[in-house]
Amino acid sequence: MRIALVSTYPPGKGSLNEYAFHFVNHLRQKPEVSEIIILADELPDGATYPTQEDTSDVAQLTIHPCWRFGAWNNVLRIRQAVRHVKPDVVLFNLQFATFADRRIPGALGLLTPWVVKSSDMISTVLLHNIMETVDLSKAGFGGNPLIEQITRLAGNIFTRVLLQADLIAVTIPKYVDILTNKYKAEHVVLAPHGAFEDIPEPDFVLPDGPLQIMTFGKFGTYKRVEALIEAFELLQNQSTQPLELVIAGTDSPNTPGYLEGVRQQYAHVPNIRYTGYVEEEDVPRIFGDAAVVVFPYNSTTGSSGVLHQAGSYGKAVVLPNLGDFAELITDEGYTGEFFQPDDADSMAQAIQKFLDSPQHRQQVGSQNYIAASGLPMSEVVDWYLLHFERLLQNKTTSPITLSQESL
Amino acid sequence: MELTYRNTNGTHILELEGRFDAYEVPKLVEWFDANPEAKFVLVNLSGVGFIDSSGLATLVKGLKRCRNKGGDLYLSNLQQAVLIIFELTRLDKAFTIFDEETAALEALPN
Repeated sequence: MRIALVSTYPPGKGSLNEYAFHFVNHLRQKPEVSEIIILADELPDGATYPTQEDTSDVAQLTIHPCWRFGAWNNVLRIRQAVRHVKPDVVLFNLQFATFADRRIPGALGLLTPWVVKSSDMISTVLLHNIMETVDLSKAGFGGNPLIEQITRLAGNIFTRVLLQADLIAVTIPKYVDILTNKYKAEHVVLAPHGAFEDIPEPDFVLPDGPLQIMTFGKFGTYKRVEALIEAFELLQNQSTQPLELVIAGTDSPNTPGYLEGVRQQYAHVPNIRYTGYVEEEDVPRIFGDAAVVVFPYNSTTGSSGVLHQAGSYGKAVVLPNLGDFAELITDEGYTGEFFQPDDADSMAQAIQKFLDSPQHRQQVGSQNYIAASGLPMSEVVDWYLLHFERLLQNKTTSPITLSQESL
Repeated sequence: MELTYRNTNGTHILELEGRFDAYEVPKLVEWFDANPEAKFVLVNLSGVGFIDSSGLATLVKGLKRCRNKGGDLYLSNLQQAVLIIFELTRLDKAFTIFDEETAALEALPN
């Protein structure tokens, strides 16, 4: 099977790049997959993707940059690339702002799965968030209630367009319910996020030095660190033990310059380390060294890859009291301490519970490890392949029929 | 979870009873590892009232294993709560599911 994946991909820094990286790594191991073509976004400043080594024991991997974040013509360029590549299946790794941070080019990009399907290709979508559960004002698409309402209406329309794909996979059961009940879609499937790697059981040993409170991600839209820094300030004032706040990651593509602004605003707060982009090989160390991983989100746009990573490394987590997260915790067996979004006092109290008790940290970390290692991504990939095989089989066996409406 | 094994006319029948979750998955994995020749397997889930993603994943692995050998893995007697999980994941389209074990045995190749 030859699979084209439309996605961001490392070293590109767009949202969902790490998910794509791990997904592809597992997909390559499957004997039924002969080739994967990543239809990736073009890297800035003329940079190129590294050449992939040909290895006989895994599927061939080609990276074909053919779209640009923010461009208006992505739909046409991707369609052209798909026609050129002629894969058996196209999988889009998407969230609503994958193609742009502005409404029109972002929305045009979301037409692509439908356009690809119209070219007689099998078009499938992994949709990481749905419009119904996104707080638009906090996710960078709001500002004015009227504009927010129009954006939501447009979101509904574009959800219907996305649902024209042959298969829509989502990572949270609630999303299946919403898409099935509201849009009467019958081809929406639950495909859990899955744990990125088969990581050995953590030893829960922390490095010497200050206890590290870590947050990881792309910041500036709904992931904002102001309240976290203020909570950290409170903790440093209250605590006698040395602490360090590690802000690991970069600006969201929607909010360039955000972290630099934060750095200047809170220059007076000591013991904060900004790591910048974390290379894949540094991820285990960043998580391993952390005593607590904090999710300073004031909204969510889907399941959290970072939560799965934190669980894989057996970390205690501090989470916002938000619908999606609470559901994820319940559904997938994670646990943590909760805080009221954007409330520094509440966040400080939640973090303090872990700083005060190594036993509590380890107990929660152990439970999160079990939750994260329950379903490896390698097995989730098998589910996709079963769906792909079924779609391919249907395509080859179904006679072409014309409905009354189309006549 | 209890796992009971029977062989009827060459079809391996596994009857599971109890919660089928991450903690119980090794039992089924061990059975597959101990029976590498099994081509046609019927899993009777009448006694399973709960299945999680790990349980589903184990059945998918079993399905792939049987199909790679030219066989198949069938399911029967799913309780409503379990059937809902299969429908949510649309894995009900990937497996052949029978209402009753007897119907499955009549339909399966000997």
